Amino acid sequence: MGKKELKVSLFLAWRSLIRGNRSSTVMTVIIIALCFTNMIFLPGLFNGIGQSITTQLVDYEVGNVLVSPRAGDQYITDLDATLDLINHMPGVERATPHYTRGATLKSGDRILSVGVRAISPSDEKYVSPLYTKMIAGTYLGDGDTGEIIMGKTVAGDASVRQEDEFQPSLGGVRIGDSITIEYGNGYTKDYRVKGIYFTGWSQADGTVYTTMSDMELVEGQALDRADYITVKAKPGYSEKYIKDELQSYGVSQDVQTTSDLLAKGMGRALQSFAIINLVSLIVSIVITTVVLFIVITIKTINSRKQIGILKAIGVDKTVIMHSYGLQVIILALFGIIIGITITSLLGLYMSLHPIVTPEWSAVLYLTPIDMLTNSLILFGAAVVAGYVPAWRVAGEDIQKIMRA
Amino acid sequence: MIRTENLRKIYQMGNVEVRALDGVDIHIEKGEFVGIMGPSGSGKSTLLHMLGLLDIPTSGRIFIDGTETGRLTDYQKTMFRLYKLGYVFQDYALVPELTVMENVALPAMLRADRTESQYRADTVEILGKIGLCDRRGHLQGELSGGQQQRVAIARAIVNKPDILFADEPCANLDTENSRMVLNLFHEINEQMQQTIVMVSHEDWHKEYFHRIIRLRDGKIVDGGG
Ligand SMILES: Nc1ncnc2c1ncn2[C@@H]1O[C@H](COP(=O)(O)OP(=O)(O)O)[C@@H](O)[C@H]1O
Ligand SMILES: [Mg+2]
Repeated sequence: MGKKELKVSLFLAWRSLIRGNRSSTVMTVIIIALCFTNMIFLPGLFNGIGQSITTQLVDYEVGNVLVSPRAGDQYITDLDATLDLINHMPGVERATPHYTRGATLKSGDRILSVGVRAISPSDEKYVSPLYTKMIAGTYLGDGDTGEIIMGKTVAGDASVRQEDEFQPSLGGVRIGDSITIEYGNGYTKDYRVKGIYFTGWSQADGTVYTTMSDMELVEGQALDRADYITVKAKPGYSEKYIKDELQSYGVSQDVQTTSDLLAKGMGRALQSFAIINLVSLIVSIVITTVVLFIVITIKTINSRKQIGILKAIGVDKTVIMHSYGLQVIILALFGIIIGITITSLLGLYMSLHPIVTPEWSAVLYLTPIDMLTNSLILFGAAVVAGYVPAWRVAGEDIQKIMRA
Repeated sequence: MIRTENLRKIYQMGNVEVRALDGVDIHIEKGEFVGIMGPSGSGKSTLLHMLGLLDIPTSGRIFIDGTETGRLTDYQKTMFRLYKLGYVFQDYALVPELTVMENVALPAMLRADRTESQYRADTVEILGKIGLCDRRGHLQGELSGGQQQRVAIARAIVNKPDILFADEPCANLDTENSRMVLNLFHEINEQMQQTIVMVSHEDWHKEYFHRIIRLRDGKIVDGGG
């Protein structure tokens, strides 16, 4: 197959597409485009949900690596030394402790049971962007006592009647209000509301934060222990690297990356996602293959006689085969380009109008690699679907096809 | 130029053997305008297909320009058709998505020995000859039957073939258009010494032929040469 032959194949293919049955050409391109969109949309959406959960988990729960007490222990003890050790490791941006106590909040006639989470505010800022999510008041300072910040869900909304509330709240607490907190150990104190934040992550928005200094008052002793430590990696360092570092430095506690936790917590959900993705992939490939196969088969059957004539006047069968094969390639290319356009527009639309739920917000998460692999898969399927009938008819006997 | 030896073509239709060609020996010289005539079913098309390498004889040999065509591979036959033979069919068989110009140029586009400017010039020249220069941008659907057949003839001769084959090229045409086609054949035969082998069953066509090969039941009854 020389250059001249390829040129003639392309010439015949292009003419057939633009001067032949144009509505069939357009329909075929649209079907391929929709198949491409279908192929990439659901996985992209699931990926988006996965990404949004991961991000929130990293931001408001775990950081990149979670250090928790070893099996059998209730706390990480020797906290200061452990923090010091971790903070000096390469790749660690900051490690910060969390210590949570169950408590009952009272404001006016409202009573609410929540977890009160004690943090080291200045360190916490390196790990969690919660301090950027204040909708009223300000974030905690390291030495603050008698002050708390709370999520919007806890604070509530004064304009919503208690019986209409989706989640129980304090019914519209405002900055500067005083609320009473009674801890599980009986310690009771009035606190001033210093700030209210909203993150979109329901767990965080249903929490009250106080400082480690304040929690020492509650416990009645210096706190050299924590429920767990969250660790933020420096840019460019992988979670896995930090985890390995921590373990090799002899941190004896349980060390898990966000991915470890996700795999544990969402294992089954991720499996279902993977199955749905696979099904949508297969359906798209099958539809594309079948449609192109039918389109090209009909084309070749309708032009059997003409194919015979072309062969009779000295057009080689490979030229004829490629003239049909190239039609499929062109159709597939246009379909995929339009498919990429549709998906990108959907992605853009969804980034402007994400589906937001308390746990996640769904945007389309599409990487160029996803686009590329899907394009290649669909393209491959298209080429097979087109070349099979083209090859069959081009190889037939001149006599046989001329008589048909 | 063309010689056959004891050419046979037998079609097996279930239990029935159809002897479409039954021992045909012919000889055609360069520059001849030969008519193959005979009643319907006598084997005219079959003979033409054998000569034009569109089908393989059951037995016997065909020599074209000294080449024994039975020895050629499939690809060599295709190239033989492209470089040495031209065809005109009963039903024109133009590519519907190509313009007049493109249809005529198509076989020339594939020739390794023609540049683009060469085949363009050839095409335009031939379109002038068949009187369809002003229709060069038209599609098949916009032409009359006679015009389509003239385009098919132009396509067949654009590569200046050694031999031009035509299988009842006037079967779908009225007398006026038939004459136009036959006159065109006559002209290219005279001016270019083009060898032409044409199948016909219209008696009045014979005035155009130098010689007539008559077939009946797959056998030559007259004019084998
Ligand atoms: N592919 C074929 N299969 C079976 N019989 C055929 C085939 N082609 C031609 N024949 C038979 O061979 C004979 C000669 O046919 P053909 O060459 O087409 O005749 P003509 O062109 O003179 O009308 C006819 O009896 C025809 O039915
Ligand atoms: Mg016939």
